Amino acid sequence: MIGNAVVLGVALLVWGLVFFYLVRLERRIKELERK
Amino acid sequence: MPTNPSSSAAAVWAVLRKECLSEWRTRYGLNAALLFAITSLAAVSFSIGRLGDRSDVLAGLLWIVLLFAALASLAHAFVREVEGRTLTMLRLVAAPTAIAIGKLLFNFLFLALIEVVTVPLFLMLMGAPAPRWGSFLALLALGSVGLAIASTVVGAIISQTRGRGALFAGTSFPLLLPVVAAAVSGTRAQWNGGSVDAELRLLAAYAVALLAMSLLLYDHLWED
Amino acid sequence: MIGRALLFAWIAGWTIAAFAWAPLVPVLGETTRVLYFHIPAAWITVLALGWSMVHSLLYLRRRRLEHDDHAAGAAEIGILFCIAATASGSLWAKAMWGSYWNWDPRETSIFFLLLIYAAYLAVRSAIDQDERRARLSAIYSAAAFVAVPFLMFVVPRIYFSLHPDPIINPRGKIDMDPRIRVVFFALLIGFTALFFWMLSLRVRVARLERRGLAAQGGAS
Repeated sequence: MIGNAVVLGVALLVWGLVFFYLVRLERRIKELERK
Repeated sequence: MPTNPSSSAAAVWAVLRKECLSEWRTRYGLNAALLFAITSLAAVSFSIGRLGDRSDVLAGLLWIVLLFAALASLAHAFVREVEGRTLTMLRLVAAPTAIAIGKLLFNFLFLALIEVVTVPLFLMLMGAPAPRWGSFLALLALGSVGLAIASTVVGAIISQTRGRGALFAGTSFPLLLPVVAAAVSGTRAQWNGGSVDAELRLLAAYAVALLAMSLLLYDHLWED
Repeated sequence: MIGRALLFAWIAGWTIAAFAWAPLVPVLGETTRVLYFHIPAAWITVLALGWSMVHSLLYLRRRRLEHDDHAAGAAEIGILFCIAATASGSLWAKAMWGSYWNWDPRETSIFFLLLIYAAYLAVRSAIDQDERRARLSAIYSAAAFVAVPFLMFVVPRIYFSLHPDPIINPRGKIDMDPRIRVVFFALLIGFTALFFWMLSLRVRVARLERRGLAAQGGAS
């Protein structure tokens, strides 16, 4: 039970990190494209 | 640029003759490749000994030794070309496809020569049982054709990059693997008394498919 | 940006569903959840390779560098998914059958894809000029395209006939329960969308790099 919650938590955390990294990357790209 | 069939055949023959002659003049490549093949064979034989009853291991080892020989020998074929700058000359007189076929035939002959020495030595040193010569030679022939076709096209690509031997081995491996897999399976089957039809068909199919694709690609290979 | 937020919620939500809502597959037990990640990763590996190869052929045909951007980008992202699929598959195999690697047909296939990706990227890394790199890597891609059906379907069978293994892989029989199926396809869609988002970013970066170089060239 606890184990499952831990794995789920880690999975969501990893996904969150990946997502925010990609969003930041996209913002920087948009900036550079505007120039 | 020659385009009709008879001059294309003549171009292929000219390329082949040129390759054979320039290789024969120094024999450096042939000597190095033979030495490499015999060395790997010796290493295998020394560390493993005679394997008369293990047809599966024998089949695998035989084709690994041949694979190594192909990798070692064919990598240099195109490198020599580019370094000698004769490729530019060749392209002035022959269509890319003709050059490619000429080189392919040369690579095949080269491999065949290595095998004439290596295979009997392998059979003797490893204590292999007598092969069913018809099937065995057919597998060797078709397998070598496949190895040559794949190595020729990969060699042509790699010769235009910064990479050399290691890159050639790594990039040619996925293309060589179907040949090796089918050849090992067939070689084992012919020692175990089974039929090699399926493997021969596979080798032929792969060779034809790869040859057809690579002939379409050679025009793109040498453009600058 | 709404699309991005939607993607985030989609994947996060269905991941929670995978743990809290979908049942376990009896044979797999607690390891069931790996399939929601591992199988989509393998699917995207194949998709990305196909995308890359198609764009390689398109580049040879039309000689537009955008096609090369897509070929390279798909390969770079594809190999990431391939590594993820291979690693997750290996860990799953260890949990299920006690060994990390067995060369069973599926493991063998994913390994060959890894080799092709690596070889393609290695060829690219050995060439400096844009046009030549695009052309030669596209040629290699086209040649590898011929080998793929043999590597994916024929060679693993050959290996298996050479080394028959008592370990039988039950993966083909899952997706029985409709809840599992729903979550699986939902996450499959989500990961596919993620792949194309990453690819679009990669392609835009490549285009910017070319423009940046062009600007430098123009200024000097």
